Amino acid sequence: MRELVARYLSQSITRRGFLKGLTRAGLTLAAAESILESLDQVAHAQEARRAAPEGVKLFQGKGAEAFAEQLIASGVKYVFGNSASEDAHFYDALVDRPQLKYILTPHEGPGAAMAAGYVKASGEPAIVMQAGFVGLANAIGQMFNAFKEQTPLVFYSYRTDQTRRSGRDGFEEVANQEQVVQPITKYSWLARRADMIPETVRRAFKAAWTAPYGPAYASWHADFNDENVRTEIIAHEKVDPRTRVRPNPKEVERAAKLLVEAKTPVMIVGDELYKAKAVDKAVKLAELIGMSVTQVRQLFANFPETHPLWVGTIPSSRVDSLTYPKDADVVINVGNKLQHNGPAPIVARNAKFIDLRNDNWSMGNVITTEAPLFADVAYGLDDLTAAVEGAMTPALRAKAKERADDIRKFSERARTLRAQIVKNPDWNASPLLADRLTYEVAQFADKDAIVVHEAGSIGFHSFNFNPLGGRELFFYYGAHLGSGVGTAAGVKLARPNQQVICLVGDGSFIFGPTALWNMARLELPVITVVYNNHAYSGPHSRAINNSPGGRMVQTGQFMHDYLGNPDMNMASIAKGFGVEGEVVGSPAQLKDALARAKRFTQEGKPYLIDAQVRRTGVAWAEKPWTPPIRIAQERTRKV
Amino acid sequence: MLSYRLLSLCFLAGLLLLFTNVRAAEQSGGLPDGPGRDVLTSKCFQCHSEGMWKDQRQDRRGWEAALYRMVGRGALWTEDEINTMAAYLGSALGPQSAKTSTKE
Repeated sequence: MRELVARYLSQSITRRGFLKGLTRAGLTLAAAESILESLDQVAHAQEARRAAPEGVKLFQGKGAEAFAEQLIASGVKYVFGNSASEDAHFYDALVDRPQLKYILTPHEGPGAAMAAGYVKASGEPAIVMQAGFVGLANAIGQMFNAFKEQTPLVFYSYRTDQTRRSGRDGFEEVANQEQVVQPITKYSWLARRADMIPETVRRAFKAAWTAPYGPAYASWHADFNDENVRTEIIAHEKVDPRTRVRPNPKEVERAAKLLVEAKTPVMIVGDELYKAKAVDKAVKLAELIGMSVTQVRQLFANFPETHPLWVGTIPSSRVDSLTYPKDADVVINVGNKLQHNGPAPIVARNAKFIDLRNDNWSMGNVITTEAPLFADVAYGLDDLTAAVEGAMTPALRAKAKERADDIRKFSERARTLRAQIVKNPDWNASPLLADRLTYEVAQFADKDAIVVHEAGSIGFHSFNFNPLGGRELFFYYGAHLGSGVGTAAGVKLARPNQQVICLVGDGSFIFGPTALWNMARLELPVITVVYNNHAYSGPHSRAINNSPGGRMVQTGQFMHDYLGNPDMNMASIAKGFGVEGEVVGSPAQLKDALARAKRFTQEGKPYLIDAQVRRTGVAWAEKPWTPPIRIAQERTRKV
Repeated sequence: MLSYRLLSLCFLAGLLLLFTNVRAAEQSGGLPDGPGRDVLTSKCFQCHSEGMWKDQRQDRRGWEAALYRMVGRGALWTEDEINTMAAYLGSALGPQSAKTSTKE
């Protein structure tokens, strides 16, 4: 018994282990619990005498309370969850911890999207909670998005199977639950003991928030939540490895030399700039060199689109598909993942490539790199700009200015050509052209509006995003659909004083409309605009591209893309969630609806516009064919 | 003999011409020759394979609308270039022209 007491006081066995040891020694459970209670008082006094360093707190209570305490210490303000009976003790813990705010989301997918939107827009941590594996399965889609988009989001769900009945194919039980999400998380762990809940949680936050960011998953058996524990609660700054590092100085010199000697340098920008709040530094370097700036698929707009050095996004996933400039000889990537969707590298082999990233794992995988700058982009740009400034001569400055003037001429002309969009002969048509809808929303949006965009197959223009105090973009990268409405709700939660407009395709919208209910309940005045062409327009076009002239095209029998017959009414769906809205079909109706939406949001209420949009592209019939599956002929009873 | 040689030469020349036309058609996605084809191939094939739209049939106005939609997707074309391409497509891939499916 003496040994058991010593082990318990030194925290080398759990309360359960201590009780088990005493009952094995012949004591009754009641007697053992009585000894444990008196021993807890001794332990508590002992721990109180031990001076805990700043940021480290000794805690005694239920496992679920320790979980809540660690979330607070990890900097969490909002918990996004769906009802889970085995988290009862956590809900108890929340009652006395009002600083931890629980947001009930009616579906784990949009709930996780809302959490991701909050994290992206605030830069603050959050956690998504699900009920066991069944809830986790619903959240996995958004976990995939967080993985592809490098969003530092932490997920938790318990194992419904308790420790003493695990492995019996019980209710909701899946063996090795935490391993299911391993390929799409940076960290996935099952806490083995109740007192290790806080350590598991803070490690999840550490993994998620260490560059390159990404999702993490923590889990434990449900009975741990009810178990009494003594454990440490540690503030995030005490475990954060602070991986914002500076680049290798030799590589900085090499990169600077390449840039100042380049004839036609090009800068690709990416999301690491937005996350590091370093867009202004990218502008400075581009201006110093006189360098064209572009971007390929990312979440955010990472450079002011009105800047004269901005030459537009890369149209066909290769730098050499840019209209201007041609023949780039030096390309610098600043914080872009460079997603490759084709066999050709985005930067051709004949250009010298500088890669400034915080993700060294992916550097050099596809594109050969002349000067790898593994660093935080803000520090990397500071160092590189200083090196370039040191290397610039009057002749080089004159050359840079000449080049910048040429780029300015191109960007001015490009702006004029893009403005021709209003000359489309169908511009005033009803149902609306998607381009007209985008244009009108762009005319309507506040100068510092945030646009959440999940209307993937539309042309996207006219907004002139500017992350330096102008309009901001939150696009999607992972492509697990149904994220837009949730993301917009989370963004508004983080940025209540900016107008938030959600642009979403009808197909995407119906994957995840439940966050509308959160908008209504939390009074998040978001304007949601649905591009409703009653079709999966993107998959329609891509299927034809994959099978040109095939049987679908020959017969007009497209199985997979038409969402009409009956048509869905998104305004009615919104009303069901407590959000007012309307259906519009013409440009005039749209303008009136936008004005109404503005009034609603000014009063703190969300609003939805279901905009009827034309189906455009190849092989759309006026009334598309639908598969003749009807069971009327098979019914013999009127039931 | 002479007539046989002449016939052979004509046959060879015909083959050469046919080969040249087929090759030109291949390079331009199987599109027939005509004013506007070169503009089209230089501007559209930057992003698209012909498989995407060679089965589309519509009049000049329909093609013009399609081209302006590409402006919304980042295409940088002048109004003259758009008109030239729309006129060509309205003729080459107009409502009455035969379909050239790649799969039979």
